Amino acid sequence: MEFDLEDPLGSSSSSSISKLFALESDHMPTYHHCFSFRCEAISLISQFLQLQFSCNLDPFVAYLAVNYLDRFVSRKEIEQGKPWLLRLIVISCLSLASKMNNIPFSLSDLQIEGCIFEAQSIQKMEFLILGALKWRMRSITPFSFLHFFISLAELELKDPSFKQALKHRASEIIFNAHYDIKFVGFKPSIVAASALISASHEVFPLQYSAVRASITACEYLHQETVSKCFNLMQEMEKIEAKESWFDYESSIISTEIPVSVLESNTKRRRI
Amino acid sequence: MEKYEKLEKVGEGTYGKVYKAKEKATGQLVALKKTRLEMDEEGIPPTALREVSLLQMLSQSLYIVRLLSVEHVDKAMNKPLLYLVFEYLDTDLKKFIDSHRKGPNPTPLPPSLVQSFLFQLCKGVAHCHSHGVLHRDLKPQNLLLDQQKGILKIADLGLGRAFTVPLKSYTHEIVTLWYRAPEVLLGSTHYSTGVDMWSVGCIFAEMVRRQALFPGDSEFQQLLNIFRLLGTPSEEQWPGVTSLRDWHVYPRWEPQNLARAVPSLGPEGVDLLLKMLKYNPAERISAKAALDHPYFDSLDKSQF
Repeated sequence: MEFDLEDPLGSSSSSSISKLFALESDHMPTYHHCFSFRCEAISLISQFLQLQFSCNLDPFVAYLAVNYLDRFVSRKEIEQGKPWLLRLIVISCLSLASKMNNIPFSLSDLQIEGCIFEAQSIQKMEFLILGALKWRMRSITPFSFLHFFISLAELELKDPSFKQALKHRASEIIFNAHYDIKFVGFKPSIVAASALISASHEVFPLQYSAVRASITACEYLHQETVSKCFNLMQEMEKIEAKESWFDYESSIISTEIPVSVLESNTKRRRI
Repeated sequence: MEKYEKLEKVGEGTYGKVYKAKEKATGQLVALKKTRLEMDEEGIPPTALREVSLLQMLSQSLYIVRLLSVEHVDKAMNKPLLYLVFEYLDTDLKKFIDSHRKGPNPTPLPPSLVQSFLFQLCKGVAHCHSHGVLHRDLKPQNLLLDQQKGILKIADLGLGRAFTVPLKSYTHEIVTLWYRAPEVLLGSTHYSTGVDMWSVGCIFAEMVRRQALFPGDSEFQQLLNIFRLLGTPSEEQWPGVTSLRDWHVYPRWEPQNLARAVPSLGPEGVDLLLKMLKYNPAERISAKAALDHPYFDSLDKSQF
């Protein structure tokens, strides 16, 4: 049975929507963990992503790996000051995520300097992570809610190409937000709703208020939290825009994964 | 695994031995299922990872035996082992039916209990099917019971791909054919949710009769048993049947009156059973539709 980030329960029936909302908290980190640890881990993943042509790392795999990492670190005390431990955790999360997504990828592709581990150690770490996450590996993520929220705004988005464009932009925002620690505490459904509202603000300003009203009318959403998340996203996108203006084509590896890297890859998957 | 104390072997699951055990810290009884996991160079095998996490997700239903944890044992010199730790239930439907047939004072299962067990079975099967998962080996031994609470739960599920359904079990005991759908017996490879519904029908009849509906000891005998009761299927009834891989020319039997095979079952029950035992898998009732069948009208559904 394949695992699809957009459909973690493997069903598209309407009853599964309430299940998604009921279960999403099981797939979240329980508290904000160490800022510097997360930054270092994400910077390492972004290095791997930039090597993607040699190691074929899919952005969705990277996304899922960060979800595992956040949940693992929030449940287990990690000894600080051991850079090899961080690398081992990152590689094991990537390995699990690629197996769940069924995307062929070999660990040996990631064996860059300082990241060479014995198969035995990676396997042990994999089991440690699986245990801490209680084998709940079919993560519910913001992507799982996109289809549902878009269907709520059906009337405003009659044209299928509108929906496609909105989903595409919202997915980019979800990727960006995932690597920004400010968003760690938000439920996946809140991130999905806010990302779609943000995307409509950018892509279809005329329909924005109608789309926003249809989505926030959803009984499962806490309006104020959506507003808070939406505002943070607006800020993030502003900073993003400025940075990309100044640092365009800069070779500095930022702590956030550049959109351009993701863009080239997300197109391959149906979003 | 030091956390658990093995008490006794309680059975032979489709995929290996099952032990009753006690969690030392809490005294909680659990069922331990040993799987043989082939570890390769790249850590946990992807299929096992996907199957177990799927099982983890499915087992959150009340009608599926709950997976409590997964233990990984890696002893030097030996192959790594994976134990699945499930909640323990004291009996299964096979033992329960046997106790009503063989005991010192044999009595039929109360009709309201048959109705309740069948409803819970359909709920569990509908849950699996709604997540795109087929069980493929439903049988009374795989349906565990909490007798005090009157709860039925489906076991031995979800490992269909990582650990393919074997023809012979772990200890070379022949896997039972009694609940196998005709399309599987005839060698169809593109079977679907109907295979589980056929098994549900056979189990329904068995609860009422206290003996199996189609007890065949070979695939051929199994088919003949089915054909003798339901009639030999025809192309009109089941388009494509004569082109299935293992189709042969069979004697032409006429369908018998199914009600006579389940004499204590009322007309609504017989109607539901007929819909579960339709030859054409596309016409067989789905688990979800079965839940709305009039047979269950007299059941208090609020308790589920």
